[in-house]
Amino acid sequence: MAFAHNSSSLYSLKSALSSYIRILVVVLLSIITLFPIYAVLVNSFKPNGEIFATPFALPAAPTLAAYVGILTKNADFWIFLTNSILVALGTIGINLLVSFMAALALSRLQFKGRTILYNYFIMGMLFPLSVAILPLYLQLRSLNLIGSLNGVVLSQVAFTIPMSVFILTGFFKEVPLELQEATQVDGGGIWTFGFKVLLPISGPVLSTVTILTFIQSWNQFLLPLLVLDNRKTFTIPLGVMQYQGQFTSGWNFIMAFITISMIPMVLFYLFLQKYIVSGLTAGAVKG
Amino acid sequence: MKRSGINAALLITPAFLLFSVFVVIPVVQAAYYSLYEWNGIGPLQAFRGFGNFIQIIQHTIFHTALLNNIKIVIASLLLQLPLAFIIALLIGRKRYRGEMFFRGVFFFPYIIAEIVVGIIWRFIYYPEFGIPTLVMQFITGQKNQIGLLGDPNVAFYAVLVVILWKYMGFHLMLFIAGLQGVPAELEDAAVVDGANSLQTIWHIIIPSMKTTFIISIFQSVIGSFNVFDVVWAMGQGGPVNSTETIVTYLYNFGFRRFNFGYGSAVAVILFFICLVFNVLYQRYVVGDESNGIRS
Repeated sequence: MAFAHNSSSLYSLKSALSSYIRILVVVLLSIITLFPIYAVLVNSFKPNGEIFATPFALPAAPTLAAYVGILTKNADFWIFLTNSILVALGTIGINLLVSFMAALALSRLQFKGRTILYNYFIMGMLFPLSVAILPLYLQLRSLNLIGSLNGVVLSQVAFTIPMSVFILTGFFKEVPLELQEATQVDGGGIWTFGFKVLLPISGPVLSTVTILTFIQSWNQFLLPLLVLDNRKTFTIPLGVMQYQGQFTSGWNFIMAFITISMIPMVLFYLFLQKYIVSGLTAGAVKG
Repeated sequence: MKRSGINAALLITPAFLLFSVFVVIPVVQAAYYSLYEWNGIGPLQAFRGFGNFIQIIQHTIFHTALLNNIKIVIASLLLQLPLAFIIALLIGRKRYRGEMFFRGVFFFPYIIAEIVVGIIWRFIYYPEFGIPTLVMQFITGQKNQIGLLGDPNVAFYAVLVVILWKYMGFHLMLFIAGLQGVPAELEDAAVVDGANSLQTIWHIIIPSMKTTFIISIFQSVIGSFNVFDVVWAMGQGGPVNSTETIVTYLYNFGFRRFNFGYGSAVAVILFFICLVFNVLYQRYVVGDESNGIRS
């Protein structure tokens, strides 16, 4: 049976071979992709001298010295972390609230100028937002928001509104009209419908918006660079940049700092990965 | 009807105000400031007309920046997207085992902060012990320090590799989702008709994924013009401005030198480049029937 000369076993041999080649190629590409991350991890557990001798080998005697140094020697890391968390929470919270409300109106109410308003928001997705950055700095200065985390939060919310309104409006449009009519029969208006009916069934789409907002907020560098002028207000990306400038020779500290800064993102990804996919592809799926 | 008008206004106003105050008004202001020479302090007085624009267009460093952005676009379209598509075919079809794992692997660079990515690759390229030095040592047998990021002739290409590495996973995710939207019956029918893998990909899969390609290409182009952090972390546009992009140019020559009029003019030019791209793309690529980007 196994060596029978018929085309189907030849075919299955061929397909087994091609599946091995496929896996080999994927594994090779994975190794290339992960190599820089591997370098970060192994070197965060080495003394600095060892990094210069064997930069890409496993640590000879793993040490937590760099981690201990960062987490205990001074308060910098904890300040940066607190600021990043505050900015992310503020950005996500405000963005979810205002985008939810706007999308509710844009998808569920009939009013004049609806399409124009929708396109007004969506326009933001068609341009890189760095075109706004310089006058935004002036705007924040005139509002006395330079040097304040609030300035970063409000700007980041504004930057994420187009995508959030786009995703949420698309989702709300698919919710059956009968649900809304049922609410109206019971005497409830759009607010009741939005917060009592729509909100409880919007968990997945709100998770999508949350994770996308989180990636943008946690990793944002240019905006905090312009707005925050005092290291007490620095977020993690600003902190990392400053930190590696300070310890030019302490690669083990830099690598440990980078490793810790990646942990929240990795956890977020692991728990919410299916929402990331649906978020990134919200546009593609709608088509 | 009137009630719904009031409700709509109440619901939309917060988002409308935030988006207007922090994005739209600044962009409009940029157009106005771009006509002046202004240090950001005091009244707008020194009207220059199109003087800033003429100066920018004649500035060789701006040419470098623009050319670098165009190179990023070309590399994304010719290298990054095809590679992402091939990997998507390798891991994303027919729900192969381990798909979620490999997805996570290739997506990993995308979720790391750009600034961190830049620092990591500075390590990989480090002249004293980095990969280029080790590879050359392996080939030639002699240890010579190779400092890619210090050499104006190659620094940009070293940065380009990092950009491709960082964003490939994003397009991979789009393609995997697109692949899973290809009707299985169509693929089966093609196989029954005797089509081989390449024919199936070319005649069935690619045409069915038109919307995905439209979105992926769009994101590639707009994203390429937005590159800042990675370049900044790897050399702030240097050495000798060789890795400058339009946004680092805007920061270095506008913000850092308190030339707000000049920087605003750079922003206006960037806006127009994207506007022209948007109009042409909508008209010639997206067409009428498929509008994945707008709705």
